[in-house]
Amino acid sequence: MIEPEKAGAVGSSPLMRAEAGGRLVWLPLAIVIGLAAVAIIIAIAVTPSFLTVDNIRAILRNASIVGIVAVAMTPITLSGNFVSLAISQSAMLAMVSFVAMVGAGWPQPLAILVVIAGLIVVGVLQGIVVASGLNPVITTLAAGAIIYGIVSEITGGGIVRAGDYLISWGSSTLVGIPIQVLVFLIFTILVTILMSRTVTGRETMLVGANRATARISGISFTRVTIVSFAIFSIGLALAGILNGAAFNQSTARSFPNLTIDVIAALLVGGTAIQGGQGSPLRSAGGALLIAVISDMMVLNDFSTGGRLAVQGGVVVVIVVLLDQLRRRRVVGS
Amino acid sequence: MIGSIFTRIRPYALPLAVLLITWIVIATITPSFRGAGSVYAVLEGFPLVGLVALGLAVTIIAGELDLSVGSMAALAAAIAVLTSPAGLVGSVLIATLVGTALGALQGTLIGQLRINSLVFTIGTLILLRGLTYISTGNAPIMIQNIEMTDPLLDRYWIFSVSSIVALTVFMLVGLFLSYTRWGREIFAIGGARNEAIAAGVPRVRPLTSSFAISAGCASLAGALAATRGGSAAPQNYADLLLSGAAAALLGGISLYGGRGTVFNVALGVAVLTVVATGLAARGSAASLVQLVTGALLLTMIAIEFLAGRLTLRDTVFGAGLRRNSRDPTDTDD
Repeated sequence: MIEPEKAGAVGSSPLMRAEAGGRLVWLPLAIVIGLAAVAIIIAIAVTPSFLTVDNIRAILRNASIVGIVAVAMTPITLSGNFVSLAISQSAMLAMVSFVAMVGAGWPQPLAILVVIAGLIVVGVLQGIVVASGLNPVITTLAAGAIIYGIVSEITGGGIVRAGDYLISWGSSTLVGIPIQVLVFLIFTILVTILMSRTVTGRETMLVGANRATARISGISFTRVTIVSFAIFSIGLALAGILNGAAFNQSTARSFPNLTIDVIAALLVGGTAIQGGQGSPLRSAGGALLIAVISDMMVLNDFSTGGRLAVQGGVVVVIVVLLDQLRRRRVVGS
Repeated sequence: MIGSIFTRIRPYALPLAVLLITWIVIATITPSFRGAGSVYAVLEGFPLVGLVALGLAVTIIAGELDLSVGSMAALAAAIAVLTSPAGLVGSVLIATLVGTALGALQGTLIGQLRINSLVFTIGTLILLRGLTYISTGNAPIMIQNIEMTDPLLDRYWIFSVSSIVALTVFMLVGLFLSYTRWGREIFAIGGARNEAIAAGVPRVRPLTSSFAISAGCASLAGALAATRGGSAAPQNYADLLLSGAAAALLGGISLYGGRGTVFNVALGVAVLTVVATGLAARGSAASLVQLVTGALLLTMIAIEFLAGRLTLRDTVFGAGLRRNSRDPTDTDD
C-alpha cells in the first residue's frame, strides 16, 4: 500500500503526512475486518450450526472462486483501468476449453498449461487495446460478447463433457482443506506480494494513483496495463479449471453471476474504483465477507430474494461508507 | 446553408452508415427480412432494448452510468403483473411511476453523496434484483385476466401499441433534453461538471432527473414486455444492460458525456435490432447476435477513438480520476 504522491499531497508537516498516510492504509481495511467480525459474531449467536468445520469449509469453498478472480482483477482496478465486464465469459471460456481438452484425451497438466496460456493471450489482447487508449469498460463489454458468441457457436449451445476422462481432483481435499481454498490462499499471497513488494506492483499503484506523475517518472502505462491484464487472465484460467475439474462438464452459460459477484467483492473489500488505492488482500476479504453473510442467510432459511436484497444492501452501505471516508480524508487534510 | 445541414447531420453520419450497411447486408442474406415486415420488426426493438438504451444514454450524457437498469426492468415487470387488476394502462403506469421514483431517489443519493455512479449502482443492481425475487415469491408470476393484454398484440401497419408508446417516449425525452432548462442542465453537468456548477447549475438536480429518466424508461420497458407476455420472472432482463449500453454507444452517444441526442440512440437501437432480427430470421442463435454486436461495438469505439474524439479522461470514469487526485497538474491522457 504505497501511495507516495498522495501522502505528499496531504498535510504540510512530515508528521501529518505520515499520520494521514497511515490512517489511509488501515482504516478501510479495519472497517471491512470489523464488519466481518460483527457478521461472524451475529452468525454464531443466531446460528448454532455456523461454527462447524463443515460449514466453515463450505463458506471458504463458496468464497474461493469469486475470491480468486477478485484478487486477480485487483491489479487492473489499481492501475486505473476500472473493472472488466468480461469476467463471466472469460472464466467460462477457460472452463469449457479445459473440459473439452481433457475430454479429447489431452494429459491434464498440458491442458492446464494451454488454458492458462490461451487465457493470457485473450487477456493481453484486451490489455493492448485498453493500453492504446480505448475505454476499458466498453472494450471488455465488447470482448465478453465476442467470447460468449464464439464459444456458443463452437459448442452449439450444448454441454461439453470430459467424457471418459473423469477429472478426479476437483472436489478433493488436502488435510481437510478443499483444493479451491488452497489455490485461493496461495494465489492471494502471491498477488499480494507482487503488488506490495515488487517494482511492478508499485508501478501499478502509481499509474493508478496519478497517471501523469507516473508517466513523467518514466513508468509505462502500456506495460502496467498489459501486465495487470495478464495477472487477471491467470486468475480467470484458475477459476475455470477448478470449476471444470469439480463439475466435469461445462456450457457457454457457466458462471452466470460471476461478473457482478467479483466486482462487488472487490468494491466491498475497499479497493477504490478510481485506482491507486487498495490491495488484492482486501478483495479476498471482500469475497469472504460476502460469503459469510450469504452463508448465514442460507442457514437461517432466507429466500433467494431476501439474500440478494441483503447482499445488495450491504454492498451499497459499505461502498458509500468507504467512499465517504476517502473523501473526508482528502477534504479534511 | 448546405454547410449548416452538414454540421447538423455529421454526428449521425457514422451510425447511419452502419445502419444502412447492416440493413443491406441482412436484407440480402435473409430473404424474409424485406418490406414493411422488416420495418415492423425493427420498430419492435424499441419497446424493450430501445427504452433501456434511451435511459442509459441520458445517464451517459450526464457523465454517469446506471448499471441497475436490468434489475429495474425486472422489478417493474413484477409490479406490473402484480397490479394487473388495475387494468392495462393502470398497471403499466404504476410500475413506471414506482421505477421513476426509485430512480429519482438513486440519482439524488448519488448527487448528494458525490459517489461514483458505477460503484453505487452495482449495489442497487443486486438489491433491486433481490426485491424482484421477494415481490414475485421467487417464481415466475402470471397475469390472471390474460385477455386484458390483447390490445398490445395488435399490429397497425408497421406499428404496435408498444412501439408507438416507445417512440412517443423517445420524442418526449428528446424534447425534454433539448428544450427545457432541466434537460439542458443534464448536458451541462455531463460536459464540464466543475465549470457548470461554477456557473450556477445545481449539482444534484440533473443527476436526480437523469437517473429518474433512466429508471423510468427501464421500468416502462419491463412493464410493457411483462404485460404483453402476460408474465414476469424474477431472473429476467439481466442482459438488458449489455444490449442497452451497446445500442447507445453504437448510435454514437459519446462517452465524453454532454453529447448525443435521442436520434443517436434510435439509430443504435435500429442497428442492433436489424442484426438481431435479421440473424434470428435466418435461424441463427442468439449467441451469434452477441458476437456480431460485440464486434460492431469494438469497431465503433475504435473508429471513434481513432477520430480523436474519445479519451478516458472525459468519461464518467475520468471524473473519478480527477476527483480522486485533486491535483491541478494531473493531466492523464
